[in-house]
Amino acid sequence: MEIVVCVKPVPEAETRLRVAADGARLDAEGVKFVLAGYDESAVEQALLLKEAVAGSTVHAIALGPAPRTEEVLRAAVALGCDKASWIEVPSGGSDDPLDAARILAAAIRGLPHDLVLCGKQAGDDESGLVAGALAEALGVPGFGYVVDLRWDAARSRFTFHRAVESGQESWECPGPIVIGLQQAWNDPRTAKLPAILKSRKATITKIAASGAAASVATPEKFELPAPRTGAKMIEYRTPQEAAEKLVRILREDAKVFP
Amino acid sequence: MSRRTLVVGEVRQGHLADVSLEAAGRAIELTEPTAVVGFVAGSGAEAAAGEFARVGIADVRWTDAGSGSDASAGRIAPTVAALAREIEADLVIVGGTTFGRDLAGALAIRWDAVSATGVTDVRREAGAIHVRRPVFGGRATETRRLAGPRVVLALRPHAFAVPSVTPTTVRTSGFAFVEPAPSWREAKLLALEPAAAGGGPALADASIVVSGGRGVRAPENFRLVEELAASLGAAVGASRAVTDAGWRPGTFQVGQTGKAVSPQLYIAVGISGAIQHLVGMVSSRVIVAINSDPSAPIFRVADYGIVGDLFQIVPALTAEIRRVRGP
Ligand SMILES: Cc1cc2nc3c(=O)[nH]c(=O)nc-3n(C[C@H](O)[C@H](O)[C@H](O)COP(=O)(O)OP(=O)(O)OC[C@H]3O[C@@H](n4cnc5c(N)ncnc54)[C@H](O)[C@@H]3O)c2cc1C
Repeated sequence: MEIVVCVKPVPEAETRLRVAADGARLDAEGVKFVLAGYDESAVEQALLLKEAVAGSTVHAIALGPAPRTEEVLRAAVALGCDKASWIEVPSGGSDDPLDAARILAAAIRGLPHDLVLCGKQAGDDESGLVAGALAEALGVPGFGYVVDLRWDAARSRFTFHRAVESGQESWECPGPIVIGLQQAWNDPRTAKLPAILKSRKATITKIAASGAAASVATPEKFELPAPRTGAKMIEYRTPQEAAEKLVRILREDAKVFP
Repeated sequence: MSRRTLVVGEVRQGHLADVSLEAAGRAIELTEPTAVVGFVAGSGAEAAAGEFARVGIADVRWTDAGSGSDASAGRIAPTVAALAREIEADLVIVGGTTFGRDLAGALAIRWDAVSATGVTDVRREAGAIHVRRPVFGGRATETRRLAGPRVVLALRPHAFAVPSVTPTTVRTSGFAFVEPAPSWREAKLLALEPAAAGGGPALADASIVVSGGRGVRAPENFRLVEELAASLGAAVGASRAVTDAGWRPGTFQVGQTGKAVSPQLYIAVGISGAIQHLVGMVSSRVIVAINSDPSAPIFRVADYGIVGDLFQIVPALTAEIRRVRGP
């Protein structure tokens, strides 16, 4: 099975966010970039499928500026991806997820692919647009919010579930297919030191960016919420008093229920 | 004359979902009722189409999505694009559910549009659409300018109110289903199991969420959290400590690797407030925390806090809510 997994470098979860001088975007100075959370899950899923289906190849692909994009690709290789391709774009360029999807689609068209995996959304812009857009651009079925993705070898098709608002859907579909993964692994693999060292010398294939029109999405403002002053603490002598005070606040001040 | 706005609705249990009415309400404020066209697809679409009347939309199209097959977002995106072209829309608005967000990506490609999801505010100014949306798990907000000529927006559930207007009479008409790529023929929806037991509105959709954490101590005590939720008509959530321990299934989990929720009211019971939990709920409108540890980080993001033993506070709160809301 030929598996392509799309990964994106995003600021580490613990990053202290700061606003750039132009007021319109994140100040990336000194920020450590890592594999986006759901993308890490997508890599884990790709590797699990590879282990289950003999003769599979996992190809990690990423779009973004140096050096962070190359770094996350090496991290993906250290985890066990067989190949890595990098579509380098200048830093500070378009951050429109649809541009990213168009460029990724143009690159993936030229690669063998039975399954294209993405995280369901990136931890930074949280747009969740890429999987659906990639599928439409590649002309294949696409599904976001997928869990329990498996390969049914006897019937040559993927089976999976989707957690939607009204419940859980069960699906089957042959490849090629695009999946936005919602799965969370409690213990995704971590790279071992020898693999990390080896990944530093791995070949990262460069692919030229093509396929995106001039973006019509422009960032205007990036704001951090006023620091929360902390909760208003409810003083009480008995649990009943605490309950009465809270209910009064919720009804009268916060107006969250009648 | 200004161009038209298309609102893509979602049918749930035979009715138009609240998020679709919220989207319709916002569409009307951005243009005018007569410039808004509603659309629904799938089984029950024809009946649900009429419900757009509740928010004052008079022109509604529907399709049965190729008789018998599902109306998943990718499958109907080509139909939505065709309708948007036919009515000369410059804006398509959808509720930002799993369906809405999947649709936004596919439609943006098919209709050659720009798109934003998770939108909490939108205005039209000088020929462009400006949207605000939380990013980084609600730790920041971005404003983007989306210059047309075609824009697709998925609105964050509950960020906008369902308008109360005098219902109109609605004209519904069928719209021909446009076949998606041939490979869709083999994609099969085998089953839909209703949301996990315990009743209450589905987590991601709920306007009130009550979540329990490790502080609850044992699976049988989780009943306290569920009773409080039931008294409020709320959905039940959990921290990962709870789902990892198997006290409740993974579908209950709120946070980075669970569901992101943004209800009107979020009550965290016995949850410490780890960053991975916070990213799934900080954008809730009002946050209440009940925790025995006054230094628990959850109090830093909460609006109201009660320091105390949940085994005493929660039953008292449930009783008080039942008392004021009536049986
Ligand atoms: C990659 C990754 C992803 C993760 N994703 C998620 C996620 O999606 N969602 C998530 O929730 N977590 C997630 N976590 C785990 C997260 O880091 C925390 O471990 C978890 O949220 C802790 O759950 P908790 O608050 O219930 O438990 P604890 O942190 O143990 O807190 C229990 C709280 O209960 C209070 N308490 C105890 N007894 C009482 C009492 N009698 N009355 C009142 N209060 C009491 C304590 O003071 C304490 O604050 C993730 C972690 C990692 C590494």
